[in-house]
Amino acid sequence: MITLSGLHKTFENNAVLRGVDLHIGKGQSLVVIGGSGTGKSVLIKCILGLMTPDAGQIVVDGQNITQNGHAKLLHRFGMLFQGAALFDSLPVWENVCFRMLRSGQSRADLRDVAADKLRRVGLEPDVADKFPAELSGGMQKRVGLARAIAADPEIIFFDEPTTGLDPIMAGVINDLIREITTEMGATAITITHDMSSVHAIADQVAMLHDGVVQWHGNVAALAQTDDAHVRQFITGSATGPIPTLR
Amino acid sequence: MIRLLAMIGAATLGGFAAVGRIALFMASTLRHLVTQPFYGREFGKALFQIGFLSLPVVGLTALFTGGALALQIYSGGARFSAEAVVPQIVAIGMVRELGPVLVGLMIAARVTSSIAAEIATMKVTEQIDALVTLSTHPMKYLTVPRVLAATLVMPALVGVGDIIGIFGGYIVGTERLGFNAASYLQNTVDFLEQRDIVSSLVKGAVFGFIAALMGCYYGMTAGRGASGVGAATKGAVVAAAVLILAANLILTEAFFSI
Ligand SMILES: Nc1ncnc2c1ncn2[C@@H]1O[C@H](COP(=O)(O)OP(=O)(O)OP(=O)(O)O)[C@@H](O)[C@H]1O
Ligand SMILES: [Mg+2]
Repeated sequence: MITLSGLHKTFENNAVLRGVDLHIGKGQSLVVIGGSGTGKSVLIKCILGLMTPDAGQIVVDGQNITQNGHAKLLHRFGMLFQGAALFDSLPVWENVCFRMLRSGQSRADLRDVAADKLRRVGLEPDVADKFPAELSGGMQKRVGLARAIAADPEIIFFDEPTTGLDPIMAGVINDLIREITTEMGATAITITHDMSSVHAIADQVAMLHDGVVQWHGNVAALAQTDDAHVRQFITGSATGPIPTLR
Repeated sequence: MIRLLAMIGAATLGGFAAVGRIALFMASTLRHLVTQPFYGREFGKALFQIGFLSLPVVGLTALFTGGALALQIYSGGARFSAEAVVPQIVAIGMVRELGPVLVGLMIAARVTSSIAAEIATMKVTEQIDALVTLSTHPMKYLTVPRVLAATLVMPALVGVGDIIGIFGGYIVGTERLGFNAASYLQNTVDFLEQRDIVSSLVKGAVFGFIAALMGCYYGMTAGRGASGVGAATKGAVVAAAVLILAANLILTEAFFSI
């Protein structure tokens, strides 16, 4: 479904991606892990066309969209931004149904659709008429999630969906993401730091480090790997190949 | 010496580059204006924000300026016993110059700054990226409605400003300077030509276009973080004010050079 080859991205003199190769099959759930600042968000933004890679190729569903061509595909994509990125001039329900509001459906119907999507992410219907600034960080994140999945996209990107949520709500969101891939057959790429999310969501796991995919494999193989970088990440140890600078 | 020349050269090149980027942005705005889709709801909100909510500040500015203008012309005119021209000069001064320019500058302060800050904040918090992922072009959704609304509503605001300015002069003239109310109004109406009024409204439209375009341009190109928002707002207001004054000179030349 999505194939990245030799992706490079540099900001001024900060080489963030230095040859990322990755493949995700249709209906698969890939989780990308990696230290803070290793370029996980940048990777997703390149696939979405929000940033243009300096070198390399991005092929989605057989179409090479490295330089342009994203516009035709965007209606099949859903994206949850790391900072939720809700439109603060619009009430929550218009955020959730933003894409559908442009498709000519009646506003009254869509308001009900929004309430339904909000329930799936564990939010009360009365949240629908509030403005994003009136919500807590975790609630905003969940509204962002509802917006990402509202139009039933085929390919969904989740940038840290459970950061800022309590453990119970994190479990609900993990289940929801799993459900979207297994029941609706969507392809998902999720970025997370949370190992319980990794186990709940992933078919495949890729670890980004030093601008390349350091390790890539099945979630089951994650626990057995002897890759020192992955081991340090899983155990959360301060000593290992990944420098921690203290 | 060479360093100095190099610096001047770099600044000049930078200036031209900025003009080029703004010109490209303007071209892109116009292109998106004439192609579908058009976001009517956003346009309506922009009309309300820019037009209706600016009325108080426009009215107050024009009222005080018209009044002060009458006093100045009276005392200045007294030096060569021409006090009687107050109604005519207030009308000309307000309609041709002060109405459009002051309303333009007030709009630059009120509207340009808020557009720039709003769009820059959206940029910084990835809302612009989110628009793109939701298949919505930011130029169509954010820039076109604001620029179109400002261009259409500014002539009306300037018209209101002109009238209230003349009214300010009228109050001062009749209450303070002893003019006869009926003949003050008669003099004003008789003296104004159609060309004065058309120029006033055209200036309004151009200034509105500039004010909204600068707000959108600086917002869309904002840097990262809170300092990016601050710099965008400042840059937008300065650019809008300077361009409005420059455009005013050009338009005045175009309308009234003999
Ligand atoms: N628009 C940008 N301009 C310049 N540098 C950027 C930009 N976006 C990201 N970077 C840089 O790219 C690097 C990777 O950023 P990115 O946001 O992808 O990290 P991340 O892996 O998502 O980290 P985290 O887990 O903390 O979210 C960082 O060093 C960041 O400073
Ligand atoms: Mg990130």
